[in-house]
Amino acid sequence: MGSSYALRFAVGSILREKWIYLLSVCTIASSLFFTALTVLLLVHVDSATRKLPQKFSVMVYLGESVSPEDRDKLVALVQKDSAVEKTVFISRDDALKELKSTLKDSAFLLEGIGENPLPDAIEIKFKSESFGPEAVERIKTAIKDMKGVQDVEYGEEFLSAVHALRKGLRTAGVAVAVLLIVGMLFVSYSTVKILFYRREREIETFKLLGATKRFIRTPFLIEGALIGSVGGIVSLAVLFALASVLVRQLSAAFPLLKVLSFPPGLAFALPLSGLLIGIGGAAIAIGRIRY
Amino acid sequence: MIRFQDVSKHYDSQTALRKVTFAVGRGEMVFITGPSGSGKSTLLKLIYRAEKADEGIIQVMDWTMNALKDSDVPLLRRHIGVVFQDFRLLDNCTVFDNVALALRIRGTQDRELKAKVFEALKLVNLRHKADSFPPALSGGEQQRIALARAIVAEPLIILADEPTGNVDPDTSAGIMRTFKDINARGTTILIATHNRELFRNTGRRVLRLDFGNLVGEEAA
Repeated sequence: MGSSYALRFAVGSILREKWIYLLSVCTIASSLFFTALTVLLLVHVDSATRKLPQKFSVMVYLGESVSPEDRDKLVALVQKDSAVEKTVFISRDDALKELKSTLKDSAFLLEGIGENPLPDAIEIKFKSESFGPEAVERIKTAIKDMKGVQDVEYGEEFLSAVHALRKGLRTAGVAVAVLLIVGMLFVSYSTVKILFYRREREIETFKLLGATKRFIRTPFLIEGALIGSVGGIVSLAVLFALASVLVRQLSAAFPLLKVLSFPPGLAFALPLSGLLIGIGGAAIAIGRIRY
Repeated sequence: MIRFQDVSKHYDSQTALRKVTFAVGRGEMVFITGPSGSGKSTLLKLIYRAEKADEGIIQVMDWTMNALKDSDVPLLRRHIGVVFQDFRLLDNCTVFDNVALALRIRGTQDRELKAKVFEALKLVNLRHKADSFPPALSGGEQQRIALARAIVAEPLIILADEPTGNVDPDTSAGIMRTFKDINARGTTILIATHNRELFRNTGRRVLRLDFGNLVGEEAA
């Protein structure tokens, strides 16, 4: 079938069965909308938690009696771990200076203290790709009984909670996205299947006149592609409008919303996903054509 | 062009054709006659592979039907024009598009297609109905569109199943004249009909079927 004729044929069929198609477009659009929303949420949670290793560090407090050799041994052991980015030694004097500068106007509180009460410490920074509660726990276990180590401190519960949340969201997001994609495939499949049955006699006539399988399939695949891509464009428009309204109207009350971004890739990804899902569903619906 | 050798076809317990043997040469116009249910339509369907024979050998052009692959069926059908008993017109397409379908299936380019469709419609006197839709036409007009669609691609063989079933005697005579003209150009034609008037005094071969048996062959 010539491509222009196939397109005309498909459009004609869509116009004749406009209500079935409209329903399918709406279903696909809403499914793609929720899939995109899930993906957006995942992307933002992921990028927020990815910055965590830059801010997060483990503090190892050293005893007064620790020798420079013991300290070097400790640093060498920690740096052997693949998850560690770097270690920073903070002497007790530097720690006091920093404390004073942090307290600024309230620095008088420290005036009554004679001797510096702060211990020497080693700050451990992590690589973003291998950062996680397991890595932190592993280092803690390795060094806590070493000579000179007084205490190891980090936000254990906070870190575990953030990671559990990240993992849970990712699993739930993937599950939701898979479910919605299967649903959209099914919608496209059902629409084309219904129309395939409604046009059974027409298709039989095509076959009797000598039409090839490709000739018969092409209009249905075009219809599937149109349903899917229009669904994708509608979902993109709704998502974009919603994101603009959210950021404009609510960012004054919730400054966090300002960091919400609308990835430009979505402008291609949504119509393209719709297109592929539409064609996929139609191809499954047509199945094998026998003579 | 067409050869049947001891061909039988059964539907469940009913026999539609029993040990039928005949041959039709290139450029012949042959009538198949017999009462309703005698196997005329089945015989035509076996030629364009809408049905498969249970026994016997069928040869159409260079194809042996028993060995014909599924993938070759469209090619076989593109060499045959069929006027179906129930017309098989697409109600949602115009008369033009219905006739053009036979050419589009064959991959004919648009410019050539337009000229051929109008020529075929002129031949069946329906040029002025090109933009109408089949449901708006009479049974006789629909039958002539089906004929136009069968001849438009100039196939090597034309099969017609009761091609004058719904038309008045004048239109019927017109349709037969069209078949005669096409046959004169070398197209092989098989016409299944129970209307004896159609082949009376034509001098053509007539194959007579009765309860699936080929009971006689005569010259009309």
